[in-house]
Amino acid sequence: MDCYTANWNPLGDSAFYRKYELYSMDWDLKEELRDCLVAAAPYGGPIALLRNPWRKEKPASARPVLEIYSASGVPLASLLWKSGPVVSLGWSAEEELLCVQEDGVVLVYGLHGDFRRHFSMGNEVLQNRVLDARIFHTEFGSGVAILTGAHRFTLSANVGDLKLRRMPEVPGLQSAPSCWTALCQDRVAHILLAVGPDLYLLDHAACSAVTPPGLAPGVSSFLQMAVSFTYRHLALFTDTGYIWMGTASLKEKLCEFNCNIRAPPKQMVWCSRPRSKEKAVVVAWERRLMVVGDAPESIQFVLDEDSYLVPELDGVRVFSRSTHEFLHEVPVASEEIFKIASMAPGALLLEAQKEYEKESQKADEYLREIQELGQLPQAVQQCIEAAGHEHWPDMQKSLLRAASFGKCFLDRFPPDSFVRMCQDLRVLNAVRDYHIGIPLTYSQYKQLTIQVLLDRLVLRRLYPLAIQICEYLRLPEVQGVSRILAHWACYKVQQKDVSDEDVARAINQKLGDTPGVSYSDIAARAYGCGRTELAIKLLEYEPRSGEQVPLLLKMKRSKLALSKAIESGDTDLVFTVLLHLKNELNRGDFFMTLRNQPMALSLYRQFCKHQELETLKDLYNQDDNHQELGSFHIRASYAAEERIEGRVAALQTAADAFYKAKNEFAAKATEDQMRLLRLQRRLEDELGGRFLDLSLHDTVTTLILSGQNKRAEQLARDFRIPDKRLWWLKLTALADLEDWEELEKFSKSKKSPIGYLPFVEICMKQHNKYEAKKYASRVGPEQKVKALLLVGDVAQAADVAIEHRNEAEMSLVLSHCTGATDGATADKIQRARAQAQKK
Amino acid sequence: MAFPHRPDAPELPDFSMLKRLARDQLIYLLEQLPGKKDLFIEADLMSPLDRIANVSILKHEVDKLYKVEKKPAFSSSEQLCFLVRPRIKNMRYIASLVNADKVAGRTRKYKVIFSPQKFYACEMVLEEEGVYGDVSCDEWAFSLLPLDVDLLSMELPEFFRDYFLEGDQRWINTLAQALHLLSTLYGPFPNCYGIGRCAKMSYELWKRLEEEEDGETKGRRPEIGHIFLLDRDMDFVTALCSQVVYEGLVDDTFRIKCGSVDFGPEVTSSDKSLKVLLNAEDKVFNEIRNEHFSNVFGFLSQKARNLQAQYDRRRGMDIKQMKNFVSQELKGLKQEHRLLSLHIGACESIMKKKTKQDFQELIKTEHALLEGFNIRESTNYIEEHIDRQVSPIESLRLMCLLSITENGLIPKDYRSLKTQYLQSYGPEHLLTFSNLRRAGLLTEQAPGDTLTAVESKVSKLVTDKAAGKITDAFSSLAKRSNFRAISKKLNLIPRVDGEYDLKVPRDMAYVFSGAYVPLSCRIIEQVLERRGWQGLDEVVRLLNCSELAFTDMTKDDKASSESLRLILVVFLGGCTFSEISALRFLGREKGYRFIFLTTAVTNSARLMEAMSEVKA
Repeated sequence: MDCYTANWNPLGDSAFYRKYELYSMDWDLKEELRDCLVAAAPYGGPIALLRNPWRKEKPASARPVLEIYSASGVPLASLLWKSGPVVSLGWSAEEELLCVQEDGVVLVYGLHGDFRRHFSMGNEVLQNRVLDARIFHTEFGSGVAILTGAHRFTLSANVGDLKLRRMPEVPGLQSAPSCWTALCQDRVAHILLAVGPDLYLLDHAACSAVTPPGLAPGVSSFLQMAVSFTYRHLALFTDTGYIWMGTASLKEKLCEFNCNIRAPPKQMVWCSRPRSKEKAVVVAWERRLMVVGDAPESIQFVLDEDSYLVPELDGVRVFSRSTHEFLHEVPVASEEIFKIASMAPGALLLEAQKEYEKESQKADEYLREIQELGQLPQAVQQCIEAAGHEHWPDMQKSLLRAASFGKCFLDRFPPDSFVRMCQDLRVLNAVRDYHIGIPLTYSQYKQLTIQVLLDRLVLRRLYPLAIQICEYLRLPEVQGVSRILAHWACYKVQQKDVSDEDVARAINQKLGDTPGVSYSDIAARAYGCGRTELAIKLLEYEPRSGEQVPLLLKMKRSKLALSKAIESGDTDLVFTVLLHLKNELNRGDFFMTLRNQPMALSLYRQFCKHQELETLKDLYNQDDNHQELGSFHIRASYAAEERIEGRVAALQTAADAFYKAKNEFAAKATEDQMRLLRLQRRLEDELGGRFLDLSLHDTVTTLILSGQNKRAEQLARDFRIPDKRLWWLKLTALADLEDWEELEKFSKSKKSPIGYLPFVEICMKQHNKYEAKKYASRVGPEQKVKALLLVGDVAQAADVAIEHRNEAEMSLVLSHCTGATDGATADKIQRARAQAQKK
Repeated sequence: MAFPHRPDAPELPDFSMLKRLARDQLIYLLEQLPGKKDLFIEADLMSPLDRIANVSILKHEVDKLYKVEKKPAFSSSEQLCFLVRPRIKNMRYIASLVNADKVAGRTRKYKVIFSPQKFYACEMVLEEEGVYGDVSCDEWAFSLLPLDVDLLSMELPEFFRDYFLEGDQRWINTLAQALHLLSTLYGPFPNCYGIGRCAKMSYELWKRLEEEEDGETKGRRPEIGHIFLLDRDMDFVTALCSQVVYEGLVDDTFRIKCGSVDFGPEVTSSDKSLKVLLNAEDKVFNEIRNEHFSNVFGFLSQKARNLQAQYDRRRGMDIKQMKNFVSQELKGLKQEHRLLSLHIGACESIMKKKTKQDFQELIKTEHALLEGFNIRESTNYIEEHIDRQVSPIESLRLMCLLSITENGLIPKDYRSLKTQYLQSYGPEHLLTFSNLRRAGLLTEQAPGDTLTAVESKVSKLVTDKAAGKITDAFSSLAKRSNFRAISKKLNLIPRVDGEYDLKVPRDMAYVFSGAYVPLSCRIIEQVLERRGWQGLDEVVRLLNCSELAFTDMTKDDKASSESLRLILVVFLGGCTFSEISALRFLGREKGYRFIFLTTAVTNSARLMEAMSEVKA
């Protein structure tokens, strides 16, 4: 056990710091790190080196090379830098490399050296050149802060949503600040800068001088400043070799330390773990590394080589040409277990398990000791926790074995913390592997979440590993495997050397119909790479036809898009395609296309009916649909046209169309209407009153009502109104006029084609019983009873019914017999009925 | 006599959730436009809105309410909100308002809320009118209005014309969405049946929606065991008949609008009109709604006597009993009294109107048409009906009934009836006839039976999904009704031995005085009985739906026996109250309960009006 704590260095009384190797780097660096611009992404991210930067002493002719390595030194990309001089490099939260050029242009590269985009930090920056730049991370994403040659600051808090902010001027600032940093407080980015003995805080409105509380006197300049990973703490290194550590708000001092080294350090970064009370700063000089905190002594390491510090959430990574190490505060659980002579329950449990393996009875003694104190659950918990913080699988295993051993003696210990730790460690060990090179610690992993880790694996094109992790953790398909397969497919379509068929087949084989995979997204990517044919092939696999349409339109496959839209049943989609087609094709072709798609045609027709009447006409014309054309003109004759000439003309066109459609009936009816319209116009002129737009029937009625019997007769003859109708019409009109004399004359003019029962009915409707009776006598025998009943002559009706010996008539009369008055009649019928039955 | 439900009748699901959902969504949408605003509501949406949210709820969010009308609106509010159906004319109205403001140099905020959904064409019009950037658009997915405990309506009367006449399929998506909503709320439907092109398309689209959003309904217990989708054009006959059950008759006479009816002074026997909600909560109405009209009067008078007896009880009461009576029973009795007098008034009014129009003659003709005898006489009756200008809609209805039952009019009658009609009601009805022909409602008999060959070819063409849809010329051919043959096959005209006892109906024919079993209901009955279309091949062929009848049963052990006796019937293009009554009757006979979902409640007049062209 004692050997295990050999690399533990105490800082003060309460904390230990340890440094262990993550990887031995086998990158083949030709030059020293100090000759390069270096940027390493947090969370075990990649390292970017831009060699041969624009140093004055170097010849300008050689183009520099930008190289990207994984944290284990595996080369990921290498490209010749062809753009302008670069001032600073940095990684965004999405692991994109931001290269800030001297002219304020920021170029964005992917992990594999693929150029993504670029943006400018504004004119002011362009004019004054960039003196210095920092990439920093905020809640919103990654920000860029720039110090210009005019000693002004410009920053953007989120490069994803670029909003440039020019910070206020620092009064009296003549030279570049000795050091500066971007701070992020209350979701706002600030700049803290040091000029001589003074500190200034810039927010977007003002510049204010600040003084750290409890700063030792005699400071004439600040050489370095460092903000912690979470922006909560700040450390200042002065020219007196004095380090001030406090809160980033500069309201509180935590501690101070005097290292007596006046040389400016190369780097200074915070080294603390979340929720730990210990605060420490790591300072690096050329050959020396120092950990200082709230203790009179510091921990010192010798650096054999040029090294570079990468601050992490829970420690500091230190890499050089040959090694990559991690320096951090030993977590509490580990400390408890491994501290020399520790009697913590976890330590005892670990010991017990080891004895058990040796088959020694001491195991029992240790166990009893823990159990007597009732601390077995804590012991197990401690071992599980400590396992998480161990880098080496062997040590993880022995701690987990101890935990598992302890669990045997517990009744109700919930298993999930143990199981989850085993799973997490398996994932962590997998990604920490040299080939993968993501040296995440347990705390970092938890902070990052599994989803982001998977994203990062996808970004590194490590699809098989990502899928295995998903399957191992049993993530739901939509978030897990299918998402990764979709990413894989998007990558696959970019492989230009493989034929369309092979790519499409390979993708379909892998993806099948995995839920949550959108073939249209993949196809869109293929199209983006200029592979239209492949995109169409891929779209064939898309089960939702609606999804295929927008891309097909984009690829100018409008006709295919139209049939897909129709298949989808979404009329809005069909309409979208239609309008596309309308603009794309000439009218004739457009109509032809419509003709072959009746569903689209009727949709478009509906739209035209309301919005584009002329187009509707053209559509019918194109189709030689004379029937509909006729209808169209008929509608126009009473909806669009006002003047009578126009209306007649419209009707004439309609009639012609109907003839062409071989619909003679409609044509004749239309021609009749033209005649009627002209006639009505004449009637209005001659007689006054309103005739236009009355139906033929109403026209004749109106004429009769206004006493124009002659004209009415003439009209009836002209338009061949059938006798029956004319009789009904006249009868009703004359009764309305209550012109009983004329009615009687009319009734005698010849034999009524509708019989005389209607006369009775109509008279009764006008409540003229007297007239009604006149006609009742003329009603034919089969309707006699009805007529008599209508005029209320029940007795006579009964007589007629009995005479007819008609059963139905008799019951009809009977149903009209009411109360006492018709009692006699009712009896009579009953008797007749009885008689009839006898026979 | 009211029909009591069988004791084992399943409970209906609670559909009031749909109301709450719609109301909450509307309020949310209105809140999206914070501050004072005026709301313009399309007339068609007023009544449905009234059924789910009262004005006081809206007043929270809205300053003044206006109706969307043709005339310009004078609103002084800085924010205008429009609640409209997705129609082009509404878009033009809104655009004109916005443009008028622009001319006047006024800037306001405009928000358009489309119900039940937005159509791309509408946005297009806004764009063409140059106001697309000035208005914000939203959707109020209010597609299912529970009109009663067992009746859901989409309140989309235009569905019928749009789909069955114009061939416009845009509402199908809305319908599929509505079905999807039902299945998310009330669990999946283990058994699905349907017939008709629209039914099939809706079903397929709905299933696709379910697939896309899979997982949500899985594992849920189905609450409703069966769903049956039926196109209106499977059965125009039933919809064209005069209704004689009370609820149908009230609809035919007074027009029930969105579950309520305006009873005029002649009914209320006062000088005011009264708006009355007609649903299961009206105890009196609930007992007579499904009754043949001839029973209603007797029932009501019996009820009146009972009521009187209950009032009379108080004569012998002492003080304490009287106190009890007044505090507990009197209110209920008074309420019942009020309802009773209303329905008696309605009955009287119906009787008066019907005798005036020779209702008996009319019904006799209809029955003759249904049974197929005395065609000549019926034709003459119709002609006289037209000549006398009795009613344009009624005449049209009879012509259509004649055409469908007879597989089209013989050419001579076709011409003469049309000529007579044009003379009576004006030439613009030439367009009406063209519409009716296209919809297959009024056609000319084709000479001979040579058609069948073409027909079968067409129906094949029709069912080919890719080629898909048919041209107009073919569609009218394909729509031969074959009513007579179907009627024989399905035994729609009951053999009558003696008088049909309308008081104790023995089959669904009672809704048409025992003369005719509604075809739509018979189809549903048969399919449910056979659990599919087996053995109905001939009927399906006669309905021209060889490839358009479908069954989809999933083996679902989770479905309780109770849920398996609940059946959701979806009428695409509307259903009538007679059909509802008939199925309610069937449900009672067989121990099922039916739930109805319709695009709108319809009747013969609405059907005809949808087909008519009237001068603007």
